[in-house]
Amino acid sequence: MTRRVAVTGIGVVAPGGAGTAAFWDLLAQGRTATRGITLFDPAGLRSRIAAECDFDPYDHGLPVDLIEHTDRYVQFAAVAAGEAVRDSGLDTATEDPWRVGVSLGSAVGGTTRLEHDYVLVSERGQRWDVDHRAADPKLHLAFSPSTLAAVVAERFGARGPVQTVSTGCTSGLDAVGYAFHTIEEGRADVVIAGASDSPISPITMACFDAIKATSPDNDDPEHASKPFDNRRNGFVMGEGAAVLVLEEYEHARARDAHIYCEIGGYATYGNAYHMTGLTGEGLEMARAIDTALDQARLDPTSIDYVNAHGSGTRQNDRHETAAVKRSLGSHAYDTPMSSIKSMVGHSLGAIGAIEVAACVLALKHQVVPPTANYEIPDPECDLDYVPRTARPRKLRNVLSVGSGFGGFQSAVLLTGPGGRTR
Amino acid sequence: MITTELTFGELATLMKQSAGVTVDPSQLEDAPETPFSGLGVDSLGLLGIVGELENRHGVALPTDAERCKTPAEFIALVNNALAGV
Amino acid sequence: MSTQRPGRAVVTGIGVIAPNGLRADAYWKSVREGLGVLGRISREGCEDLPLKVAGQVEGFDASDLIDERFLVQTDRFTHYAMAAAALALDDAGLGHDDDPEEPFSIGVVTAAGSGGGEFGQRELQKLWGQGSKFVGPYQSIAWFYAASTGQISIRHGFKGPCGVVASDEAGGLDSLAHAARAVRRGTGAVVVGAAEAPLAPYSMVCQLGYPELSTVEDPDRAYRPFTAKACGFVPAEGGAMLVVEDEARALDRGATVRATIAGHGATFTGASRWKESREGLARAIRVALDEAGCAPEEIDVVFPDALGVPEADRAEALAIADVLGAHATRVPVTAPKTGYGRAYCGAPVLDVTAAVFAMEHGLVPPTPNVFDIDCDLDVVMSRARPAELRTALVLSRGLMGSNAALVVRRGGGLAR
Repeated sequence: MTRRVAVTGIGVVAPGGAGTAAFWDLLAQGRTATRGITLFDPAGLRSRIAAECDFDPYDHGLPVDLIEHTDRYVQFAAVAAGEAVRDSGLDTATEDPWRVGVSLGSAVGGTTRLEHDYVLVSERGQRWDVDHRAADPKLHLAFSPSTLAAVVAERFGARGPVQTVSTGCTSGLDAVGYAFHTIEEGRADVVIAGASDSPISPITMACFDAIKATSPDNDDPEHASKPFDNRRNGFVMGEGAAVLVLEEYEHARARDAHIYCEIGGYATYGNAYHMTGLTGEGLEMARAIDTALDQARLDPTSIDYVNAHGSGTRQNDRHETAAVKRSLGSHAYDTPMSSIKSMVGHSLGAIGAIEVAACVLALKHQVVPPTANYEIPDPECDLDYVPRTARPRKLRNVLSVGSGFGGFQSAVLLTGPGGRTR
Repeated sequence: MITTELTFGELATLMKQSAGVTVDPSQLEDAPETPFSGLGVDSLGLLGIVGELENRHGVALPTDAERCKTPAEFIALVNNALAGV
Repeated sequence: MSTQRPGRAVVTGIGVIAPNGLRADAYWKSVREGLGVLGRISREGCEDLPLKVAGQVEGFDASDLIDERFLVQTDRFTHYAMAAAALALDDAGLGHDDDPEEPFSIGVVTAAGSGGGEFGQRELQKLWGQGSKFVGPYQSIAWFYAASTGQISIRHGFKGPCGVVASDEAGGLDSLAHAARAVRRGTGAVVVGAAEAPLAPYSMVCQLGYPELSTVEDPDRAYRPFTAKACGFVPAEGGAMLVVEDEARALDRGATVRATIAGHGATFTGASRWKESREGLARAIRVALDEAGCAPEEIDVVFPDALGVPEADRAEALAIADVLGAHATRVPVTAPKTGYGRAYCGAPVLDVTAAVFAMEHGLVPPTPNVFDIDCDLDVVMSRARPAELRTALVLSRGLMGSNAALVVRRGGGLAR
């Protein structure tokens, strides 16, 4: 009687080229899209590198009003959602709009746009009593976090539950998870789900500088993001979006849709420890994995690939390695686990959805994407991180995990053809 | 010649300003081995104190500064670093 | 949905930080008496902005209600949320426990619509005025929408499902539904709600573009929904946090069950398309009633969205009539928020709070500043009206186009 949830469409805007095909090429070839920041002058910053999207909104047929008054992350999402809906073959004109929902995540929302106009109204930080006359009259679109989901809902005629999820760096996983619950519980038949962020702005770069979370390898940006490698020294900022079309299984079957895979389970917990710190034990992330496995009625040994959070900070990669070992036991050593952040950077709230998209594509191609730049092992990170080269492998069940400021620990489990079905 | 020496009093002020933690300077001086964590200063708070000192003196402090566990350790390290300027 | 319900989600604790009262009982006293507290915005730097009137939280003492170090470490919206959460937990008699399973049985969910704007403006000023090295480390955890959920989870040691609905107003109701569903999925309790702090200079600049915003300078005339004088809404800060708990768990530990989260519906009809919100809101109400197993005639009181924009108010009155039929003209309707403003995501959570108190006291509170209703609703004005109240319907619409409805029942299943 449980409603199953299928993935029937994918859309991606990621560093290294827009579109799902370009994204998968980058991952399959193990290329990195990290480079010196070009979106603004990063002089004076500790970390001056990022994985940027070469994205011109005018190339994608977006309405001028949307281009002029919304932030870059909203435009990424609109484009990625367009690709996902086309890919799914869903005819939004004939769907019951009240049964179509939207669930999109973003960690920092419209901060890039907000900073842009802040500079104008404050005369470059000179006054607290800002002058409203210098601001864009539609600045509320950057201020309200629900602009993201609202714009996408509007474009695709969704009239069901529409929500923006903002749980820091697990926003993308959680947005997919909330969408999964929405369909499972019968509140919608289709949910356009994913996440988007465009955090490559002075204020966001500066705030991660202040806590030394980002890599200062400015002289070698291509090799700066080094998850699990013993030389790792922080994450490299990214940007982008990924959107999936999630659909009730029978609904997808009835319209003869291509089904990539199913969402088998999702869980999230808080670590209740520290806003940025992690314990070395990975207890809460392990529990999220365990719960997702339980929901799918799967044994830990049935996991064929773990798509890691793998941000490349000292503490994260150890925490995560511990968590996966705690859940998968000795099977962890036989399970490839890679971080695509080595190639596309860490796009905060967006990355969870981009990583779920990577998992869907890994299942499709039966190939595990690599961890680029991985060369020197850290004795405390002793799993198989798929160094530098993608690896063909029989994949049925794959897991994507994430961890975020605020203590969020989330896991999404995907089951491909040949995986279990409840 | 400006004095660069960091005192317990100044550290107490910085703890208030950068981490929001109120502590009596004399208490800090009497028990300088009480860990920052016990005083309510977390890792971000200490990073804020280091950043403030760096901005004030126009120098970068060694990365060990932000890893100091106690006020005693921190004051010794900072004063050593500032004396070398 | 209604055939299988593993656990009933009930309200066992309420904490409020609102312009008309710090703590839930103070809030209710003001609401019951129809106190109007809208006034001139007195925050530094806001003097010359064209928005003059709002509902401002007064007398909030962080060192008393949370801990003064949070004044440096996080934004005002999180101060309010943390304080409200602590008050709600206190009311529910819940807290730390040595049982290692216990932390995972309690989650935290907040809705957020304005984030840590005041903190963010301060750090932006350091960045652009002095340089990037002057941005402090707490910026990374204070501005973003997830700050309140994270801080509450850490402060109380709660490791259960933690979530954040970053939303327009209706997200406040969505967060309560999210918590109720987590409880039905097996989580013991969820600390849930929303508190906002949109009254900082730059945050206010950002709100000026909302066509629905009232900029009338007389506090008594600035926010008057359902009247011919309706001229938009007045923003406010603050909000409420609730403890939503599995009923069996609550009864086991001897807690008082104050209300049941019985049903929820959510739809989307587009930003500022108020005429279309009629159909969206009606549909959300139907879904909520259906989930609650509640007939339209069972609704004893309605807390409407009451935006204060003529077209939106008309659409709302029609939506209520579309679903409740003839009962719509008889059921008492009240919008206590006209006395203290709309605290974005916090607004509908405060309405749910008022609904719980109203049911407990058998009293429909009045709608301050509203006279001469120009729609076909029985809006309670001037003074509170005694009535036997078992079931309340709370409505909310967001400025970006969301519609939500929540059905709340008095007490728990065993109490009826």
